[in-house]
Amino acid sequence: MSDLIAIFLGMALINNFILVQFLGLCPFFGVSKKLGNAVSMGLAVTFVMVIASIVTWIITRYVLIPFDVLYMSTVIFILVIASLVQIIEMFIMRTNYALYSAFGIYLALITTNCAVLGVTLINNIQKSYSFPESMAAALGGGIGFTLVLAIMSGIRERLELADTPKSMKGLPVAFMVGMLLALAFSGFGGII
Amino acid sequence: MPEALRKFTPIMFLALIVLVAITLLSLTSSITTPIVEKRIQQQVVDQMKGMFPDVVEWNEDDGLYTLFADEGKTDFLGYAFLATGSGYSSSGINILVGLEDAQTVKEIVILSQSETPGIGTRAMEPAFLDQFIGLNINDVNFIKNGGQIDGITGATISSSAIVNAVRDTAMKKVAQLEGAE
Amino acid sequence: MTSFIKEFSKGIVTSNPIFVLALGLCPALAVSDRLEKAVWMSLGVLFVLLCSNIIISAIRKYVPNIMRIPVFIVIIATFVTIISLVFEAFVPAIFDALGIYLSLIVVNCIILGRAEAFASKNSVKDSIADALGITAGFAVALIIISLIREILGTGGLAWGDTAIFTLPVLGDHPLTVLALNPGAFLVIGLLLALFRWVGVTKNE
Repeated sequence: MSDLIAIFLGMALINNFILVQFLGLCPFFGVSKKLGNAVSMGLAVTFVMVIASIVTWIITRYVLIPFDVLYMSTVIFILVIASLVQIIEMFIMRTNYALYSAFGIYLALITTNCAVLGVTLINNIQKSYSFPESMAAALGGGIGFTLVLAIMSGIRERLELADTPKSMKGLPVAFMVGMLLALAFSGFGGII
Repeated sequence: MPEALRKFTPIMFLALIVLVAITLLSLTSSITTPIVEKRIQQQVVDQMKGMFPDVVEWNEDDGLYTLFADEGKTDFLGYAFLATGSGYSSSGINILVGLEDAQTVKEIVILSQSETPGIGTRAMEPAFLDQFIGLNINDVNFIKNGGQIDGITGATISSSAIVNAVRDTAMKKVAQLEGAE
Repeated sequence: MTSFIKEFSKGIVTSNPIFVLALGLCPALAVSDRLEKAVWMSLGVLFVLLCSNIIISAIRKYVPNIMRIPVFIVIIATFVTIISLVFEAFVPAIFDALGIYLSLIVVNCIILGRAEAFASKNSVKDSIADALGITAGFAVALIIISLIREILGTGGLAWGDTAIFTLPVLGDHPLTVLALNPGAFLVIGLLLALFRWVGVTKNE
């Protein structure tokens, strides 16, 4: 159990997807000022990460390894993620329209979110995690991703009011915020 | 074209593309895989010879090398195996571990790593790696955890990745030895 | 020929993928701590973008519209896998150093973006020019960033295991933080601001 907690915390805080592994930067820089939207986006990504990790783990374990075709992983994983996103989108649209109107637009963007492909590659290829370990990594990665998006959305709101130099407005100052957050998160380095 | 067939054209097209892709990939991999395997084998053998200069022959069983100093495989020298630690960088640290006998570490060598230059790489320097020489595999742990190894402040992740990988893999390989006997 | 040059030069300056369009930022931050990684990553992107642009523009008239994106993704993923197999076999140290970022070229917005916005609508020749220009822009950006981060962050410059040069004072006391992840945000953010300040790119 302590291994799983270590993996979870490691993915959420120490190897945070956005700040340390630089995956999923587009939503980080494009995140809206509304906390609610940022959290919705984060939760949608977390959900797809977990489902994609389950499916890709099964495929790796029962197809790629037995047939010795691990090199096909990138092609297969991206197809899996793309179809999963489509299926989830259709499913939510038919069953719960309120949920769809809250999450729908974020779902479409997730296929090309590098954090999702990243987590499946890390779990299955790089670290060869067991099933519970994959789940801990996917959940941890997703929660860490959501946390940073939420923090960023709060800072964005204050940035609008701040008197930023003209050339620093927008993206450059967002990078500065990213640097400060990355420095702050590097303090988590020693907790495991 | 009949209507029913037309509906399936997009799917057929995708299937065709996937088929071509798979063919291309298996072709490429059939060329590159032998090269990669040969290189890893060679690298391990080279490092093993550096670690045990007297080695002449060896047996390999599931990644565990048993080394001998003569061609008849009677003069036992030690064991060697690979361990992989997951450090700070994404691709892991590959370590070759040499054992004098089923209990004692002879030496460890870093085969490949891509830790942060200047920080994680401090765990790759002799000052840290030499601590492993002559240790009982049960003592391969940090002092604060009851072992005999001094950690490196500021390179916690990389150094504990090495320590944990060496200890865990050594335990597994020793269990494999005992299972075989 | 003029259209070829026009498409090519556009990628480097006016629509530089990193500094102007702010696309494909993940690799720009992740593999720019060393010059060597930046150069090899650019070569990887060159191969994938060139091949996928050629194939996609060659088959653009036959691809059923609703299967467009999946077909593009499969084509791109195939070339990404080929280049990673080749890197693994012939430049293993680089393959290890780039880690998952080599595979993640698949989801790099630059590649799918060019396939969708350019190669699927233009001739093979123009698509080649587009691929070369965009990659050149990407490479220039990555090399500038990595030069700053490696020289200041490690106090010198190295290629493989050979040091090209070591700075006198910085060599002993490098600004290590620049080679680490906060440094990536800092250097790129300052460069973006600098280009706006001198007027290369527009303010928001």
